[in-house]
Amino acid sequence: MKLEVFEPAMCCPTGLCGPSIDPELTRVATIHYVLQQRGFDVSRYNLASEPNRFVQNTIVQAEIMNGLDVLPMTLVNGKVVKRGAYLTNEEMAELTGLPIAAFAKQDGEKPKVRISLKK
Amino acid sequence: MKPFDFQAMDPTRYVFLTGKGGVGKTSTASNLALTLANRGKHILLVSTDPASNLQDVFEMELDETPRLVTGTTLEIANFDPEQAAKQYMERMVGPYRGVLPDVAIQSMEEQLSGACTVEIAAFDQFTELLTSKVARERYDHVIFDTAPTGHTLRLLTLPSAWDEFLETNTTGASCLGPLAGLTDKQVQYKQAVETLTDANETTLLLVARPEKSTLVEAARAATELRAIGIERMQLVINGVVESSEGTDRYTKRFIERQQQALDDLPDGVVDLETFTLPYAYENLVGISALQRFVSREPVAISDARYDTSRYESVDQLVDELEADGPSVIMTMGKGGVGKTTLASLLAVALHERGHAVHLTTTDPAAHVALTIGADVSETFTVDAIDPKAEIEKYRTDVFREAGDLNEEQRMMIEEDLRSPCTEEIAVFRAFADQVAKAKDRFVVIDTAPTGHTLLLLDATESYHRELERSTGVVPEAVRTLLPKLRDPKQTHVIITTLPEATPVYEAERLTADLQRAEIQPFAWVVNQSFTPLDVTSKLLVAKVASETTWLERVSNNPRPTILSWQEQLPVGYSALSQLIKEEVR
Repeated sequence: MKLEVFEPAMCCPTGLCGPSIDPELTRVATIHYVLQQRGFDVSRYNLASEPNRFVQNTIVQAEIMNGLDVLPMTLVNGKVVKRGAYLTNEEMAELTGLPIAAFAKQDGEKPKVRISLKK
Repeated sequence: MKPFDFQAMDPTRYVFLTGKGGVGKTSTASNLALTLANRGKHILLVSTDPASNLQDVFEMELDETPRLVTGTTLEIANFDPEQAAKQYMERMVGPYRGVLPDVAIQSMEEQLSGACTVEIAAFDQFTELLTSKVARERYDHVIFDTAPTGHTLRLLTLPSAWDEFLETNTTGASCLGPLAGLTDKQVQYKQAVETLTDANETTLLLVARPEKSTLVEAARAATELRAIGIERMQLVINGVVESSEGTDRYTKRFIERQQQALDDLPDGVVDLETFTLPYAYENLVGISALQRFVSREPVAISDARYDTSRYESVDQLVDELEADGPSVIMTMGKGGVGKTTLASLLAVALHERGHAVHLTTTDPAAHVALTIGADVSETFTVDAIDPKAEIEKYRTDVFREAGDLNEEQRMMIEEDLRSPCTEEIAVFRAFADQVAKAKDRFVVIDTAPTGHTLLLLDATESYHRELERSTGVVPEAVRTLLPKLRDPKQTHVIITTLPEATPVYEAERLTADLQRAEIQPFAWVVNQSFTPLDVTSKLLVAKVASETTWLERVSNNPRPTILSWQEQLPVGYSALSQLIKEEVR
């Protein structure tokens, strides 16, 4: 499965360089990190740094002709699945077949405590 | 301490000059470059200051392409990071014009016009020259007349900071994103760092005047640069007057003050090899003036004196400042023009008239606390915007706003917080907070040197635009900032300058930039003028004569105000309060 997210022009993917902190961008950045770690083919394209991606993809190019409100836009295997917002954790879980807990807060690569009764 | 002998200099291939604005970096760099060229060496002199005055010294229009100074083997160029950023933006955006919709193009341009891009573009230009094989073959020496110290430090610390950044950036989340193919540049950046820290290749000249504040600044720079591995440093003290120059009250005091500063060199520079340069009896503008200075030719001295009747006193200026009620007062100008003293003076004057006042600074190199000391009372508070502390504060804010985070999220955010843009953002937020305080009291802000100030205002501008579509949490202080800065009743910008060439040109450029941001200066203050004083020595008569051109020029601006040279630097509340009384006309 190929997952592509086309995003509005941004300075950096977490949005920390902007005037304020946007928790949504932090969430998305983390989800993508988690998916990459698990071997998924996921990409984020920022209009400011990778405009060529927007031009090369005829679907995306056509979509933004009438305005940038469609961004962020998610494509799965080349088909648009969501416009104007990022996929929610639920949608992401459904799409990838991963448990929703994989994307939730407090999850992640926290070291698991293994208790062994054997000596 | 020995006289700096331009003729005997045998410098390394790369020479950097740094120091507080107005200490004579450009003159010293120009003199050095010209002397070496006179010996038949091929020299490139480059300014990397966004607000350079190299073109004024050589009376030539300059850009990033080196131009030959007629009749010499000296080439000069002006690297303007803002210009470079624009070119960079055009390279990025240009190919997509007419391909992507206009709204997409505009949105790209907005993102690429931020402080990030300027920083990246400046850095890129700078390392390109430092690592260029062509430049190595063509020039025997490359001399960098760098920006005021705050900016210089950033520029010079960048190579190692970014170097580390590249190595440790594992998530790909960073402000370096806009620079396409950055990893290709890694070799170049590494090489730049090596050259900078190689004592056989690079000399750093710390330039100061025989004045405490510029020496403290040089010491601070020396300490920071030593920390990033620059070893070969020398101190050049500009404008030293011989004790035989005169015995009248002001001249004696002038020389005494210089001597005190020289006797009491701060820790960071006391061990450095130190050179002195004599006082220049004329403005070092034009090649012939530079040549006269280098060869120590005597200069004819005029006894002209400017009639200051068109000027206001500081007291009159305070009358007008208080007329609109509590406001934000910003003293702006290049470093070394006395912004701190003026800001402190205005703050004290307003407080003496019964107003509540908050005095603060955004200048990373400022000394408000040093001038006034701690808070005086509930109605007179003092603080400073310290970039390091602000980054820490911003960091805490970021993690609080982000809520509970897992390890991955935390890592990701840490990466972005390490980016060079974070300081700009953090300082900007603190600046906005300070401005927002001006509700029930006057807030007097002693701003950073020009280049930095412009970036700040630039940031203000793009923030303002960005806010319109941001989904994040926008602090109230940030939202109301730009409208407040533009309202002449709420904000009073006071352009601060000295009656000398560089500071006046500088102030004019600053004013033009402010006007582009739709901010109109309220007044111009000429600081440290000898013209109102009764002077007799050759030294001070020459100084008074040299002031005429600049006082005349400044008098065409709104509310020209003059502040005379002080025998004692007003340090502390009572000294400032006393000075106000003396300045009443």
